[in-house]
Amino acid sequence: MLYAAQIWLVHAIEQHSPVATLMRTHWAWPIAESLHFIGLSLLVGAIGSFDLRLLGVARRVPIAAMHRLVPWGILGFAINASTGLLFLLTEPDQYLYNPSFHFKVLALGIAGVNAGLFYATSYRQVFGASPSLDAPRRAKVIALVSLTAWITVIVCGRMLTFYRPGDCVGELGLLLTCTPR
Amino acid sequence: MSIDPFLVWLESTPLSEWVVGSPSLLAFPGILALHAIGMGLAAGLAAVLDLRILGVARGVPLIEFRRFRPVLLGGFWLNAVSGVLLLIGYPTKALTNPVFYLKLLLIAVAMGLFVRIDRLIRSGDAAAPATARSLRRLAVTSLVCWGGAITAGRLLAYTYHRLRA
Repeated sequence: MLYAAQIWLVHAIEQHSPVATLMRTHWAWPIAESLHFIGLSLLVGAIGSFDLRLLGVARRVPIAAMHRLVPWGILGFAINASTGLLFLLTEPDQYLYNPSFHFKVLALGIAGVNAGLFYATSYRQVFGASPSLDAPRRAKVIALVSLTAWITVIVCGRMLTFYRPGDCVGELGLLLTCTPR
Repeated sequence: MSIDPFLVWLESTPLSEWVVGSPSLLAFPGILALHAIGMGLAAGLAAVLDLRILGVARGVPLIEFRRFRPVLLGGFWLNAVSGVLLLIGYPTKALTNPVFYLKLLLIAVAMGLFVRIDRLIRSGDAAAPATARSLRRLAVTSLVCWGGAITAGRLLAYTYHRLRA
């Protein structure tokens, strides 16, 4: 079941990972990490300030004008999805068996669905012909969820190092959080 | 004169031992997480302000964007405090690495640029051609400094030669 799928995925990536050789050259990993942190900052700066605007900070700035920053947050996300994929394809076992990574992916999923909900439910009120300066309550809840989810993503990302999987001994959870021999 | 006795003393203080040795997630891992969040807030909001100056989201009045100033400064102070705690944890690792001083220099320059940018915006004539030109120059320099500071910070994990005194 889930364990088997995890193990299969790790093996599948290990067996044909095109980027592992590149990532194991001297400076590739540190450079990718630096880009990952730059992408993080761009994402927090653009999406975080848009969320804060929805919550009422800088109320006199039209929300639609503030939304012009969002593509830069998406650029930050794209940088991080790409560099993140490089890490994952190089050391799959370090991530796929890591509980901190499981929670990071969960928080990423929540952030994604939440962003979708924003456009599905609040687009017209926020970007319509006569938008109000105050975001609807729904949009404020979504902004709060967004901020919480992204902070969780950062914390889980930073915690990855401290939850590196060891060899499997003892209890197992819903997902494997140790490396099977 | 060697600073080694000072480093030995600092590493033996209870605070340093707690940062490095405590099994609590609030110690070293928690401080690192706060440092990453503060980075996102300070560098991120500074970058967004720079982008705005360079022509992104023109509908956002620069003077109104000053409302985000406390968030940027909050991120900066969060990182000053968490950074000092990390430094107390591993003083030798940081202070014997030239890259650490480069990181501090880049952050100092970036914050200095932010103060100058903010002053120009507050002066109210940000739209005057000469002011707009200097704002753009400051914004580009700021982006370069923040990118450099983040990179230098990340490289600290790969460039140190001494971990403990």
